[in-house]
Amino acid sequence: MERFRVDGFDEFVAARWSALLHVARLLTGGDRQRAEDLVQEALVKLWFVWPKIAEQAPEAYVRTVLVRMAARSARRRWWGERPVGELPDRPGPGDLSSAVAERSRLEAALAQLPPRQRAAVVLRYCEDLPESQVAHALGCPVGTARSHASRGVARLRLILSGTVGAVG
Amino acid sequence: MDDFEHELTRMMRDSRQPDPFRAEQRERLYEGIRVRRRSRMLWRAGGSALAVAGLSVVLALLPGTGSRSAPADRGPLPTTGPTAGPTPPPVRPSPTTAPSTSKPPAGPTSTTSAGTPGYAPTPTSRPPDAGMSTTSAPPPTQPARGPSPSFTEGGSD
Repeated sequence: MERFRVDGFDEFVAARWSALLHVARLLTGGDRQRAEDLVQEALVKLWFVWPKIAEQAPEAYVRTVLVRMAARSARRRWWGERPVGELPDRPGPGDLSSAVAERSRLEAALAQLPPRQRAAVVLRYCEDLPESQVAHALGCPVGTARSHASRGVARLRLILSGTVGAVG
Repeated sequence: MDDFEHELTRMMRDSRQPDPFRAEQRERLYEGIRVRRRSRMLWRAGGSALAVAGLSVVLALLPGTGSRSAPADRGPLPTTGPTAGPTPPPVRPSPTTAPSTSKPPAGPTSTTSAGTPGYAPTPTSRPPDAGMSTTSAPPPTQPARGPSPSFTEGGSD
């Protein structure tokens, strides 16, 4: 493992792991395992280009890779549905943590969006990126990115309208 | 931003959990790097072997195509080209000289000049056995010479 070490890569990963995992989790609609897989894959890709972009914007590169991989993996059929015995995201009556309940609701609502709308909303409202960077990460024109974000927000408004009031 | 968008931003940021980069995740990351690096090397080696094989096939086929286009084989072609191109205008054969095959320049030029529309057909250049030779050889006034004496005879009357 020592021979794979490059200057600054480990420090970058250790510093940004938590934030990248959070974004990946939102991009996958709350699927933690899949989010961790996406971050791992994105960081493997980053390792190969690290000497070129270490001084530029490695986080933007990882973010772009994450968004595109999340959209690609969402198109795969086996990511679409997972048969489970119980619904894991719904908080039970004995769940006292309102933060966990709110996060679960948000992730369940995000999971109902199309991948590109979800990515546009996450990058715009969670990462607070300008529209031009959202468009760059999505690989589309600025107007299209703006449209994705506005439609995603409108749909989230409908989905969460019945539950946001009950959060507090 | 309206209230819902502010609320959405707050929900997204508050849902973030501190998740340190653990040792097993580091191991898994470097394992992924090692596997990807090995597969890349294999792809490169396969690509190089394919390129070398293709190059060797091309080099093996190249001598065969080179002997086909040797300049020695195409030598006679330029020599016949210039002589046939600027062919001087055919020498008008005299009516006495019939097209004979014994003279090399006269044979082909007389046949080509007869069918070429660029050349003005002269009675002297036509072969004597052609159909038009009857108009030039015997003058049409010869049959009219018969009655002319009778005309003169009638006039004298």
